[in-house]
Amino acid sequence: MDSQLTASIIPPLAFLIPILGAVVVVPLTRTSERWRAIGLSITCLLTVVVAAGLIPGVLDGQVYETYLLRLTPRIWMYMRVDAMGALFGITASTLWLLALIYSTGYMADEHRKSRYYAFFSLSLAWTMGVAYSGNLLTFLVFYELFSILTYPLVVHEETPEAMAAGTKYIIYILIGGSLVLLAIVFTFFLAGDQTLSTQGLLDMSMGKGNLLAIFWCFLVGFGVKAALVPLHGWVPDAHPAAPAPFSTVLSGVMVAAGSFGIMRVVFNVFGVSLLSELGVMQYVQYIAAFTVIFAAILAVNQDNLKRRLAYSTISQMGYVALGVSLLGEQAMIGALVHISNHAFMKGTLFLCAGLLIKHAGIHRVSEMRGIAKRMPVTMGAFAVAALAMIGTPPLSGFVSKWYLGLGMLDVDKPVYLAVLLGGALLAAVYLLPIVYAAYFKEPIPAGDITPADKKLEAPLSMLLPAVAAAAITLILGLAASAPGMPLSLARLAAKLAFH
Amino acid sequence: MVSWPHWIIVAIIMPMAGAVLTPIVSRKNDKAAPVWALFIMSLTSLAALFLIVRVAQEGPFSYLVGGWARPYGIELHFDEFSASIGIICLIGWLALLFSYHYVAESIPKPRIPYYYTLVLLNLTGMIGFVMTGDLFNLYVFMEILSLSAYALVAVSGERVAEMAAFKYLVMGAVSSLIILFSIGLLYAVTGSLNMADISTRLAGIESRLPVMLALAGMAMALMVKAAIFPLHIWLPDAHAIAPSPVSAILSGLVVKTGVFGLLRVYQIFYGAGTYELAGLNTTLIWLGAISIIMGAFFAIFQEDIKMMLAYSTISNVGYIVMGLGLASQYGIIGATVHIFNHALIKATLFLGAGALMYKTGYRTLTDLRGVGKAMPLTSMAMSIGAISIVGIPPTAGFLCKWYIALGAFQAGQPAFGFALVFGALFIFIYYIRMVNSFYFQPPTHPEILEVGEAPVSMLFPVLLLAALCLVMGILGRIPLSFIEPAVTRMLGG
Repeated sequence: MDSQLTASIIPPLAFLIPILGAVVVVPLTRTSERWRAIGLSITCLLTVVVAAGLIPGVLDGQVYETYLLRLTPRIWMYMRVDAMGALFGITASTLWLLALIYSTGYMADEHRKSRYYAFFSLSLAWTMGVAYSGNLLTFLVFYELFSILTYPLVVHEETPEAMAAGTKYIIYILIGGSLVLLAIVFTFFLAGDQTLSTQGLLDMSMGKGNLLAIFWCFLVGFGVKAALVPLHGWVPDAHPAAPAPFSTVLSGVMVAAGSFGIMRVVFNVFGVSLLSELGVMQYVQYIAAFTVIFAAILAVNQDNLKRRLAYSTISQMGYVALGVSLLGEQAMIGALVHISNHAFMKGTLFLCAGLLIKHAGIHRVSEMRGIAKRMPVTMGAFAVAALAMIGTPPLSGFVSKWYLGLGMLDVDKPVYLAVLLGGALLAAVYLLPIVYAAYFKEPIPAGDITPADKKLEAPLSMLLPAVAAAAITLILGLAASAPGMPLSLARLAAKLAFH
Repeated sequence: MVSWPHWIIVAIIMPMAGAVLTPIVSRKNDKAAPVWALFIMSLTSLAALFLIVRVAQEGPFSYLVGGWARPYGIELHFDEFSASIGIICLIGWLALLFSYHYVAESIPKPRIPYYYTLVLLNLTGMIGFVMTGDLFNLYVFMEILSLSAYALVAVSGERVAEMAAFKYLVMGAVSSLIILFSIGLLYAVTGSLNMADISTRLAGIESRLPVMLALAGMAMALMVKAAIFPLHIWLPDAHAIAPSPVSAILSGLVVKTGVFGLLRVYQIFYGAGTYELAGLNTTLIWLGAISIIMGAFFAIFQEDIKMMLAYSTISNVGYIVMGLGLASQYGIIGATVHIFNHALIKATLFLGAGALMYKTGYRTLTDLRGVGKAMPLTSMAMSIGAISIVGIPPTAGFLCKWYIALGAFQAGQPAFGFALVFGALFIFIYYIRMVNSFYFQPPTHPEILEVGEAPVSMLFPVLLLAALCLVMGILGRIPLSFIEPAVTRMLGG
């Protein structure tokens, strides 16, 4: 199937609408919580509609492109929606919508709400920009914006812990961003301005040393964002410090943006054949495999719930990197689908963690005994997501792991099946005891604030997004192969990359 | 209008005459001085606009003062680099506007007219400096701008200010002397003071030693003016102590005259063609890299916000000098455009800091905590400035960083691209401190939450400059493609 280029003005809308939300809706609705919630929900929903509207065309083999403006005499800002970008775009916008609706409940009694909502909306804009970037400079612009301008969200609580986490975040992210910048400058110097298409921009004639330098700059740069061990240091601190709805998108999408960057580098900048020739991917495999296991082991020991989930994110992103590094068609499908599946699984877990914090005052795993009786819906959603994370069929986590497993056999590396299963097993070890304790253990003796039998369920505005995320997890598993689902996009992307 | 040949001389005479007349105009009425200075600068800006339009249409052109043919008469030469007159007029105009309220409070009343005289003289010096085609003339204009700058540092009359001005004066005077000596050497060897003429004559000079000595002397002295590490020691005190609008002019423009002088020296020697400049290039690259790192390193430890901004200037001039030293097309384009962009950014920051100090009376990061709530617009403008100066895309600082880094690859020196990018990282650390203090830390002085925004005459320049920081990032191709032919011509011989 040949891809067909179509000029279109739709892709820029995906980032212009949320920007509009931040710079028009938020200032206009300073005084009214209700109108702000409605206005921002509409902008977010419109973004989802734009992202979804592009999918049928993309599945049809169209590639939508837009030339925005000339940034330098030689380089355009250029948007291009291919299967990979469309997949990331729809995942991001949907999760953002859920987190935004959830925010209206969660942030109700927080301070500096205008700032929070403005930057929250902006960060969606930058993420959509990253998803639909058509060349490296455009990618860099959005990637940097979204790395830097999320700082106010990380430190939103303004507590000493949040400030410390913010400093750690910004230093890690800036070092990563600088390496990405260097790599992009070097790529531009060697290859000129070229679109991110599946042929790859570089070739062997540019010198093996140069290519290796570029590759490792890219990998380490994006690896910081994608939380590859040992570059993951900011993740476990930033997540507990940030407000829960932001942790949701941070874990679900923003960390994945690093993995998305790695995919762009592997499949669009270098191309599969050049990388096999360079022979660097086996080292990436080692790093990714180590990340999966190491982070999962650390997760087991965490008592702080959000911290445990953060380590789980690191481990899961290891899967994505592993899938990419195997350089096989099935493995790539698994990696791509896992980005989207993980977003909703981890999204559910973080949204539930936020409900536990806000409505039961629970921050720690050890405080969760018997909580399911008081928050049945919350814990129901939590349990579904936890099971999906472990990879229980027919939930979504299973689908991605199935493809990853197939991919490993496909490229003749069955040894990584041990990593795949080990990671899943460890996920069971760090998630199932939570579910078990919540459902089957005796509650902690009479709560100091509320009587033990009182229901603590949150209002609908917060509960609904959590349940919706869990439902999406279910659907992504049950209806995985329906057309328009992430799997179909991932198959298309993989087909283009390997044929 | 545009093709009227005398605009170039108007652009010099106008502010010079305006400066001299300021005390007379404001003899009866104190308020007249700022209005008069603004009026003069508006007319000068108009002349500058015509000149820039003309150079964009026709390419470089010359003006022979009094009709005396070169190389005997004085030649004013306007090329693409001279278009920096635009930024001089813009920053000068905005700084004058900003001064209206600011200076009324911080300078003894009888001195106020002389303050405006000095600012206008300083701007005259810079305008002449970028347009002259004659080496001795270059020296004269440099002295005009330097002497007025020393006085402007001391203008508040505080003891610290006098000390800072004296330190600046000593360093500046020595460097001026060396420049004069070098010009003398070149005159002795070539028998000409006209830059284009010297360039042609140098090619045939047999005895290279005096020429190289002159080159070394000029380069070193101009590095003092540009505050390249380790010749920077005069800068932080002078820039931090001066009244904020003056700091904006000093940091945004005056320091750049050193770099601009280097650019002219390069033009002369590239034009001559036969000189080996690798030594000078290497020196500039290394000193540039060291300046970036050291400037950032010192800035991290500063509590005083203007001190921090002053050290940040050293880092940024480091970028520019590194770009020049790389001697590749991308590097030089990046450097020249950064002269322009950094002026915008640093003026935003210094004027913003001035507005904060004017309203709150505090100047350290600790004292200024929480000011983001009290003065949201000024703080936002300064945050935009901070993001631009670090080079986050798509702000004004980014394209220069991109070009200079590309220049490093083009020159076969990727290690310096690395130094550049990681120097920027270092710079971010202290700007993050500033942003944290504005927005995310509880106020040290709770009463700070009560102050409002500064008056419009101060707020408008800050906001306009901040907007330009964004616009020049997005429309960065305009200065880049404007300057490209000049750089090609310069490198091509």
